[in-house]
Amino acid sequence: MSVVNIWTEKYRPVAFDEMVGQQEIIRRVRSLVQALNIPHLLFAGPPGTGKSTLALIIVKELFGDKWKENYLELNASDERGIDVVRQKVKDFARTKAIESIPFKVIFLDEADALTKEAQQALRRTMENYTSTCRFILSCNYSSRIIDPIQSRCVVFRFKLLEKKDIKKRIEFIVQNEKLTAQDEAFDALYDASEGDCRRAINLLQATAAISPDITKDMITMVSSAAKPADVRVVLDYAIAGDFVGAREKLLDTMLKDSVSGTDIIKAIQKEIWNLQIEPDIKVRLTEKTGEAEFRMIEGSDEFVQLQALLASFVLAGRGGA
Amino acid sequence: MSLTEKYRAKRYVDILHQEQAVKDIQKFLKEFPKKKALMLYGPAGTGKTSLALAAAKENDLEVLELNSSDLRNRLKLEETLRPATQQSSLFKKGKLLLMDEVDGVTGTDIGGIQELVKLIHSTAFPIVMTCNDVWQSKLSPVRAKSKLVEMKALDIGTTISLLLKISEQEGLNKSPQFLKQISIKSQGDIRAAINDLESYSRIGNEEMDMNDRRNVSQGIFNILRRLFKERQPFLELFDTTDESLDEILLWIEENIPKEYKNEALVKAYYALSSADLFRGRIYKNQSWRFLVYQNAFQSAGVSFAKDIPLDGFTRYERPKRILKIWLNNQKIAKKKTIAKKYARMVHCSTKRAMRDFTVLTPILKQESVQQKLKLSEEEIAYIDSLR
Repeated sequence: MSVVNIWTEKYRPVAFDEMVGQQEIIRRVRSLVQALNIPHLLFAGPPGTGKSTLALIIVKELFGDKWKENYLELNASDERGIDVVRQKVKDFARTKAIESIPFKVIFLDEADALTKEAQQALRRTMENYTSTCRFILSCNYSSRIIDPIQSRCVVFRFKLLEKKDIKKRIEFIVQNEKLTAQDEAFDALYDASEGDCRRAINLLQATAAISPDITKDMITMVSSAAKPADVRVVLDYAIAGDFVGAREKLLDTMLKDSVSGTDIIKAIQKEIWNLQIEPDIKVRLTEKTGEAEFRMIEGSDEFVQLQALLASFVLAGRGGA
Repeated sequence: MSLTEKYRAKRYVDILHQEQAVKDIQKFLKEFPKKKALMLYGPAGTGKTSLALAAAKENDLEVLELNSSDLRNRLKLEETLRPATQQSSLFKKGKLLLMDEVDGVTGTDIGGIQELVKLIHSTAFPIVMTCNDVWQSKLSPVRAKSKLVEMKALDIGTTISLLLKISEQEGLNKSPQFLKQISIKSQGDIRAAINDLESYSRIGNEEMDMNDRRNVSQGIFNILRRLFKERQPFLELFDTTDESLDEILLWIEENIPKEYKNEALVKAYYALSSADLFRGRIYKNQSWRFLVYQNAFQSAGVSFAKDIPLDGFTRYERPKRILKIWLNNQKIAKKKTIAKKYARMVHCSTKRAMRDFTVLTPILKQESVQQKLKLSEEEIAYIDSLR
């Protein structure tokens, strides 16, 4: 069977030695795997730093060719609630592993997308199946995982990949795919990736689809086209006093690229400092933005909270806030 | 006979847009009693009952219909089922037990669910159940015992072509544009769409209000007027209507800018934000006590965002957000199914794939990748249409 021509998959490391960065973590995980027994693991760190890759390597090392039967991958942000997760875990854990290893492995990606209550339920599930299953949880922030779960896991903190690490991987792909790339192009690629290796490789492949000679300008072009929707337009409408217009643009922006409310808030918070308004108002708007983000987590309708924030921007446009 | 009955799907081939569900139910009946019960779940008007009836017909099974009240009435249940569960050999024709709308079993009827589980255990015939929301906790014992089959909301295209067919056969001569409007309004509920077609065919009026999806009582306009203009009564304001607080909140959200500007605009939305904050706490912790706070912020809080209410008549508008979100979901439905397939292949979340879709587009345009992801023809057409 040929490997799929999606480079993030084609060039996903399949052995410990192939991974770039995270050397200390790999050393410790490798020794756990060699003992043929792993505890529950928690991988915390930014996207594209190797969490899923390491989980896959672990099961491949443990189970060899049979890894697929003994491995269940779930993504907490895609599943419809903890009930679904539990049901799937239950179905999977019902049968015992056939191999000499007496457990199966469940990888729960983006576990921090689960609410606290759901995590409590997950904790019980972990306990119930602890004799037949090991959990590997991954998250961006370990602080969003409740203590009882953290204490049941060995926690590994993944660092953002360094420039040299990403460059090493990209150079390998460039060579293999018979591309050429200037040094400047590597720099541009790294900047656009924000340390996320998946993003860097996707950008490389998207650029290579245009031409095998990768230049800095091409990278910039592709990555700017892929930038998530611009909140600047929304804020411009609001500052100009057009609340209804701003609200409409906001909804369109969110719907077009399926952007979540929290992502919009983050973008707004950055954009405040580029607006043509007095510095003291910028500070007050930042406070309002923080308040809105806080309320968004507690509340039930992101869009209501965003509208409340937009109203403050309308006022700021008139010198208040 | 109403059009919805007349055009109810009779055979598998009549069931629209549910290829997977049809396959699943065929397999279920063939493999019975490997699994004894099957649960069809999905939004209203997607063909759950029709599919169950069609399956019975295709397999020459007699349908025994049960409802939730039968379950609690043990005597009656046994009477109905005795021939079905015990004397099966005496009957030439096999049977199918149909249990419509199991989520209709309410809190006090919880015992009914237990009975249902027992029934699934003991039955000699396949049981097919339907419900809208299969993930509610009260159904979890049933879920564990059943094969779950999802019915998807119909897309606009499918709905339009069915309406076209009916319109032609019934000689209604409706314009495609009109049928499209009905289809959009139905939001994937085919029964609602056919009902609408029928009602308009009798009136013969081609003008329709795109927004009367949910039949909003005049009450809501009165509420808005009282809230924004008369500013009384406060806390009992919402008691006079059947509309839910959530629905009213959407209306207030839509119309605040018509009544308030500047400081008052900020204050009004802040009150609404507080109402939503408490609503979030209600949902998360089931603390219904907080309802009084949501109510207070949503009424008096918004009302008193400024000292003197705006004079004169204001034309209030229906909330546009929900319809807009739904239309958008239609538009990105293909994108989502592609993202899902891609995400599974590369071990990331569908959300992430959706966010990165622009970068991924050139990658997904490769034929080999499309094959590997098993993209459908429509999905490939969608990708090709992107620049």
